[in-house]
Amino acid sequence: MKNIITIMMKEFTRFFTDKRMVIMTIMPAVLIYVVYSFMGSTLGSAFAPDEDHKPWAYAVNVPDTVSQMISDSGVSILSINDDEIAETKDRINAREVDLLMVFPENFGELIQTQLDGLADGSSHTRAAPNVEIYFNSMEPNSHQTYFVVTAILDVYKTSLAPMFDINRGIEDADLASSEDFMATMIATMMPMLLMIFLYSGCMGLALESITGEKERGTLATLLVSPLKRSELAAGKILSLVVLSFLSGSITAVATILSLPNLMGTDGDVLDVAIYSITDYILLACVILSVLMLMVAMLSIISAFAKTVKEAGQAATPLMIVVMLVGVSGMFGGGAQTDPLYYLIPLYGSVQSMSGIFALDYSPLNIAIACASTLAYAGLGGYVLTKMFNSEKVMFSK
Amino acid sequence: MKVILKTEGLCKTFKLSAKQQKLQNTKKKTITAVDNLNFEAYEGEIYGLLGPNGAGKTTTLRILATLIKADNGDALVDGSSVKNEPDTVRSKIGFLTSELKLEDFFTPNYLFDFFAKIHHIDPEVSKKRKEELFKKFGIDEFAEVKVANLSTGMKQKTSLVISIVHDPNIIIFDEPTNGLDVLTAKVVTDFLTELKAQGKTIIISTHIFSLVEKLCDRAGVIINGKMVVCDTLKNLTAEKPLEDVFFDLYAESAGVKV
Ligand SMILES: Nc1ncnc2c1ncn2[C@@H]1O[C@H](COP(=O)(O)OP(=O)(O)OP(=O)(O)O)[C@@H](O)[C@H]1O
Ligand SMILES: [Mg+2]
Repeated sequence: MKNIITIMMKEFTRFFTDKRMVIMTIMPAVLIYVVYSFMGSTLGSAFAPDEDHKPWAYAVNVPDTVSQMISDSGVSILSINDDEIAETKDRINAREVDLLMVFPENFGELIQTQLDGLADGSSHTRAAPNVEIYFNSMEPNSHQTYFVVTAILDVYKTSLAPMFDINRGIEDADLASSEDFMATMIATMMPMLLMIFLYSGCMGLALESITGEKERGTLATLLVSPLKRSELAAGKILSLVVLSFLSGSITAVATILSLPNLMGTDGDVLDVAIYSITDYILLACVILSVLMLMVAMLSIISAFAKTVKEAGQAATPLMIVVMLVGVSGMFGGGAQTDPLYYLIPLYGSVQSMSGIFALDYSPLNIAIACASTLAYAGLGGYVLTKMFNSEKVMFSK
Repeated sequence: MKVILKTEGLCKTFKLSAKQQKLQNTKKKTITAVDNLNFEAYEGEIYGLLGPNGAGKTTTLRILATLIKADNGDALVDGSSVKNEPDTVRSKIGFLTSELKLEDFFTPNYLFDFFAKIHHIDPEVSKKRKEELFKKFGIDEFAEVKVANLSTGMKQKTSLVISIVHDPNIIIFDEPTNGLDVLTAKVVTDFLTELKAQGKTIIISTHIFSLVEKLCDRAGVIINGKMVVCDTLKNLTAEKPLEDVFFDLYAESAGVKV
């Protein structure tokens, strides 16, 4: 136990007193923050409708009621004739006009027939009158106007056939809270991002700490000391877990901080308070266990490899596996419920993370995932011990 | 005299890769580096393993240090078997060979403390020992220089000092003076004599005859992995200088006239 701590302390000293290593660990986080924020602000200004813009809608045969409703919402209406339709479409394309609505000539009568048909049950035999709306989705102002106009037409449509009302007198009809929205958004993306950050964080460190030491002959010096191979394996794995946890979480925090900028929303998009202490503890357990497994796998790869370069090549396919498993968490509509899925290495952890982030999980499944992942990591540690004992692995040139 | 180190029929073969087979122009898939090797070292003596390049000296010492495992046979180091109690053996010996490197990033000072901790040495004791040894080898001035920036000789001296942090009773050095200038080499050989005076057992490997003549109480000559002779230096050099003895032995065992 004492030896394990001695090894860990050496690894930490190696890491924290080396400016190059610390910078290399922080760099991805800084880059992510800068790039996301930059992308966010440029994307934002390109796609946001402009505040001062006075929207104009051109309309053919627009009924008075509709015209009134639309102007009330701040969109000015300009009535035009049939023969100007083609020209107006060109102007929408050229971004000079926001929107064009074309109503049938006898819209009022058609609606009446339709309503009578509803009463005698024959409406479904006739095609309903059609309103054509043209806009330019590449022009933010046009897009915005389209949303306003279609929303009003929807309201109008419902009001024509008042078989029932929707939300009459209710002001705050949209019950989705910002928390739900954020939770869904994070739940889909974070597990994948975390897996990638954690893996890439520990990849560099493991290669350096195991293959690097083996290649340079410094591991051999440790191997002639009375240190037990198992202590060496444990010391290496644990210190790598701590360091990659640090590096992975710095990157994750940078991502979370830059999300508001990326999505162009200002203020606190991420209300971290939506998660309870229990959620965080479970998340930490999942992350630490999956890190143990990643470190164990990478250590084995590193111990096998003869050079750091070779180890890097060997670790790349595993990186792809980790990414794909991470991506799998984005699909399938919520976390798996069958406990058996949680026994699958990496996948179980991704499912657990998705569940925790979506605030929809079974603690039992998460316990299963953590325990099984730790067991696999333990197995990896055992293999690493055997490898440190094997002269073929340690001294093959 | 008490036997403190004893090998019993040590054998070690290495697999040859296809490339190596081609280079050495041989169809053999394996090479026998150590071939049924038996020798004993007594407590408090300096024992020299003498042999030409490729004779199997380093391989033998690596087996004794438990870095690699013998295919056959065993060795007892102060009563502990290298096969069955490698951890105990390692705590009893100090081993130095050129393949063991120190981490470039750290200073001699840090590394000494680190290995002292690995050996569970009392901090007070280790501090005193560090001062003594660093002074003796002139490392004190370089104690805070990163290993990467030390000269080759200083690196080797640091490695030597660190290999004996724990004040072991059995010291196994592979070519301890290789790559050192005469002054530094003398510091090392004087130190070995000093250790012997303290009652330690020292095993060195070398192909330098003068070193054996000067230092060793007893020596064994290894040729092609076999021990061809093992005797006290007095007996070995009774008739002619060690070098001539070696040429005769070599001609005899390899069947060639030198
Ligand atoms: N890992 C290995 N794989 C293949 N062959 C090896 C290996 N290690 C040693 N050998 C071979 O075993 C033989 C003995 O090597 P060893 O290093 O023990 O010789 P040595 O007596 O120390 O020689 P030197 O005086 O040159 O250091 C050599 O022929 C060497 O090529
Ligand atoms: Mg050698």
